[in-house]
Amino acid sequence: MSSNGYHRISSRSGQNNHSRQSVRMGRGYIVEDVVEKYLSNLCASCVTGLLIGQSSSQRDFVVLAVRTPQKDAAGQGSPSVSRRAGNSLDHLDVEWVTEHARQVSRMLPGGLSVIGVFLVTPPELSKEAQNTLRRLIFAVDKHISKGRLWSLTEEDVTEKVTLHICSKTRKVVCRTFDVRDPKSSAKPADWKYQSGVCTSWPVLTCSVGLDLVFPVLELHVLPQDMEKCMKEGLQTWAKQIEDGLCLINGKTMPGEVELLAGQKKNAKAVQQTFRAQILIPMADPQSEQRSTASVKVCSGSLTLTGMVHCRAYLHSNKPRAKHATEVIKRDVINTVSSRVEMFLEDILMEGEDKGSVGVQQVLPRRVFAPVPGMSLCVCDYMFPDESVSDVSDRLKEMLDWETPEDSIDTSQETVPAPTIDLKNMVVQKNLKAESTVDARPKTPSEEPTEAPKSHKTYYAGVAMAAAVAVLATGTSLLYLSD
Amino acid sequence: MAKSYIFCVVMITVGSCTIPLIKVFVVGNILLRLRGSLEFKCQLDSTDVPHVQKVISRTFEALGSQVKSESLVLSLCSSPVFLWPNKGGHATPEDLTPNRPCKDLQQLIQTDDQESSSKKSAKKDKKNATAGIINLTLMTEVTEQGVLSAPTILRGSKKHHFLQTTLPMDCVVSVPSSESISVVCGTLVGALCSQLGDMEKVALRHMKGTALLIPQPFHFLLPAPVGLVTVVYPAGVPDSQLETQRKVLHSLFELPDNRPYLRRANALHFPDEPYKDGYLRNPHVHLNHPTLENGKPYLVQGIYSYHHYMQDRVDDNGWGCAYRSLQTICSWFQQQGYVERAVPSHKEIQQALVEVGDKQGSFLGSRQWIGSIEVAAVLDQLLGVTSKIMFVSQGSELASKGRELANHFLSEGTPIMIGGGVLAHTILGVAWSETTGQIRYLILDPHYTGAEDLQVITDKGWCGWKGPEFWDQNAYYNLCLPQRPKTI
Repeated sequence: MSSNGYHRISSRSGQNNHSRQSVRMGRGYIVEDVVEKYLSNLCASCVTGLLIGQSSSQRDFVVLAVRTPQKDAAGQGSPSVSRRAGNSLDHLDVEWVTEHARQVSRMLPGGLSVIGVFLVTPPELSKEAQNTLRRLIFAVDKHISKGRLWSLTEEDVTEKVTLHICSKTRKVVCRTFDVRDPKSSAKPADWKYQSGVCTSWPVLTCSVGLDLVFPVLELHVLPQDMEKCMKEGLQTWAKQIEDGLCLINGKTMPGEVELLAGQKKNAKAVQQTFRAQILIPMADPQSEQRSTASVKVCSGSLTLTGMVHCRAYLHSNKPRAKHATEVIKRDVINTVSSRVEMFLEDILMEGEDKGSVGVQQVLPRRVFAPVPGMSLCVCDYMFPDESVSDVSDRLKEMLDWETPEDSIDTSQETVPAPTIDLKNMVVQKNLKAESTVDARPKTPSEEPTEAPKSHKTYYAGVAMAAAVAVLATGTSLLYLSD
Repeated sequence: MAKSYIFCVVMITVGSCTIPLIKVFVVGNILLRLRGSLEFKCQLDSTDVPHVQKVISRTFEALGSQVKSESLVLSLCSSPVFLWPNKGGHATPEDLTPNRPCKDLQQLIQTDDQESSSKKSAKKDKKNATAGIINLTLMTEVTEQGVLSAPTILRGSKKHHFLQTTLPMDCVVSVPSSESISVVCGTLVGALCSQLGDMEKVALRHMKGTALLIPQPFHFLLPAPVGLVTVVYPAGVPDSQLETQRKVLHSLFELPDNRPYLRRANALHFPDEPYKDGYLRNPHVHLNHPTLENGKPYLVQGIYSYHHYMQDRVDDNGWGCAYRSLQTICSWFQQQGYVERAVPSHKEIQQALVEVGDKQGSFLGSRQWIGSIEVAAVLDQLLGVTSKIMFVSQGSELASKGRELANHFLSEGTPIMIGGGVLAHTILGVAWSETTGQIRYLILDPHYTGAEDLQVITDKGWCGWKGPEFWDQNAYYNLCLPQRPKTI
């Protein structure tokens, strides 16, 4: 070990097999070459940003760096830190950085997450930068963990990386903090560039059907308590998914099995796709010995139906089956909870729309965009009245790269047609539809977008009234109010 | 009136009523048991009966569709096997093709360590083997393939009652072991659907307002030629209130109308489910019965638990033998379904005697012995059971009581408490020869102070056959012969 605690990592994997983290003096980050390029192109004197990648017990990988976008439209080139305050980092808007991190997190499929922050400063601020980085990394982690519906396990890595770059010398100082421990001190870490880090990262995919009914108790009032009701309901569902069984390519695999076993080490790097299937018990057996069904007096209900497309990436350094099942399950949970969050945020922003009760409202659908130069994709969520150009704009703002519109994959989830079950349909009366919104499902290329982030609610267009329980096969019997 | 049962399996080889467990299996057949919970939830807009019934029926119908959907998965317990019964019996692992015989499933079950059990019941290995119950549980696959449409939220604002519960599905089917997996899957799904139908009938029949009683399935092994039958009863309704239903079933299955077969306590106890209370059941079945010239054994019928000194953290060594014999008898009445109350403790026994005036208050908490008369009194007071008392002035006379005892076991089949000298015992059976007069008594000894070790208990004769010299030839004895209530 060198005296300053840096731990040399050999570039040949397989040599290091430190199964106990306590043996290592510091973590080692393997970073894509493009990140180096990106960081070196940041010419402003003070820049904050996020580091995106995947941590495993053996290794850590960084595949993307994204600077924090500027807050005001007028400013240029010096995001998040006012140019005037070039002499101190006090004006750093931590909240803005964490909010950016939260929004970026939503755009990351399973396996990828914000694992660190970077800060570029002039040399005189280098010392202060360390404190700032510490503040930032704890705040970022706290903010992106809010509202998370799954729990960290013992095997999750809780060390996050902070990277300081001197704007003049381009010297890099890399340290990690254990975000689980507010008193943790910085540990030095290794930062090493490499090309083609994620070229052969395997990807897991699946599509999950949703069929959830959340009763809204009488003591709750929609829409204010909608968030609470949905969160409670989703928490139960998330637990079922978390505890569920995962088959990979149709087989059960004990957790320790290596997913990429059998591949020659230096074989041509190709990305493998694995199909995931998730099985859960039909229902949780009742824990209490009841003899009657529970009865709740409710003032309404929330029904969540449809399907979500899920994707997760694994690093290629001997990934194990249990890690694979974890990342795909987390993506399932995240994508549903993100969309519900966005939907609720939207309602909050737009104000309560009286006509939207009793109408099927489409949650934003997931679209994918390739990361330039890599075989990974990020995702975004498109509201029904948005188009790919909105997505492209958002990608530019959040992730700081240009995406040609035709490379955005909108085919994974389609806009739902109004679901009418004619056999069971009982038409009570027409909806009091004030606005005459076209009932045709809109395709992305159609209408031009309005101002970013505003959209209209999507009306099903046909009055339907209810019956009962929801089926797993996708036909829905809907409950509407009058 | 609605019949709430399933006629499930026919033609089980006859077993003597004393041991309902062993001889369930038809040669060449496999029993499959499918259990799981189905979520039942519905919205009741109003509480008037027609609406409620309609909604309940629709919900059951939807559950039926769920059970027939492609996302239904059956998990084979203790194995890596999963079956998709509605996808033609597709399974994982892949080499388990749908046309393979279902007995192949057994080979994939990872049997847990049977060493400890084989030590205890070396003679009964054939009973142990899962000659085969294959256990499966219900699961659902949430991942699907096909047209993906983005999720939607629907907000309803109608006031309603939201009913929610889980239905405890429990189906048993018996199929030839050569039957293909795909056919077996179809049979299981069919059994689930039938059970849902029965549950619906029971739920509707017993529903009051918005109170939905949870329908619960029970399996009964009825005497040949009927065999295994599944009946659905509503939770929370005691057996005493379900007599009419039982009468119908008794006449349907041609069962005698004076003893219970279909009370909840009579439900079949599957061999692979250990009793959770820790007591041994019917230790006498592990014994070799004596062969007498022109004689045969007459044994207790049904199931009892072995109660003896030092159990339940009560140190009654030296004084509690009659209490323990009484507990054994009470356990018999409970497990045959005559009573629902638990086996009484020493305290409760003493309390009962004070209540009937047989003892003074100072009796409570004491270590006083009781005899057959007190045993009969407690059985009457706590269980409503009447008993016959038999008196012999000398122990030697017991040798001539063969016929009477045999008749008791034939007609009543209840354990007998015998007290005399300074000891109390339980008689579980008699082997008697009319011609030679030879007699043996099957004794369950409550004086045992050790652990529930079947090997020790049978080897050392704590449960064993004794000759007439076992009794004190000069002492007088009282026997309490409990009578079965004539009820179903």
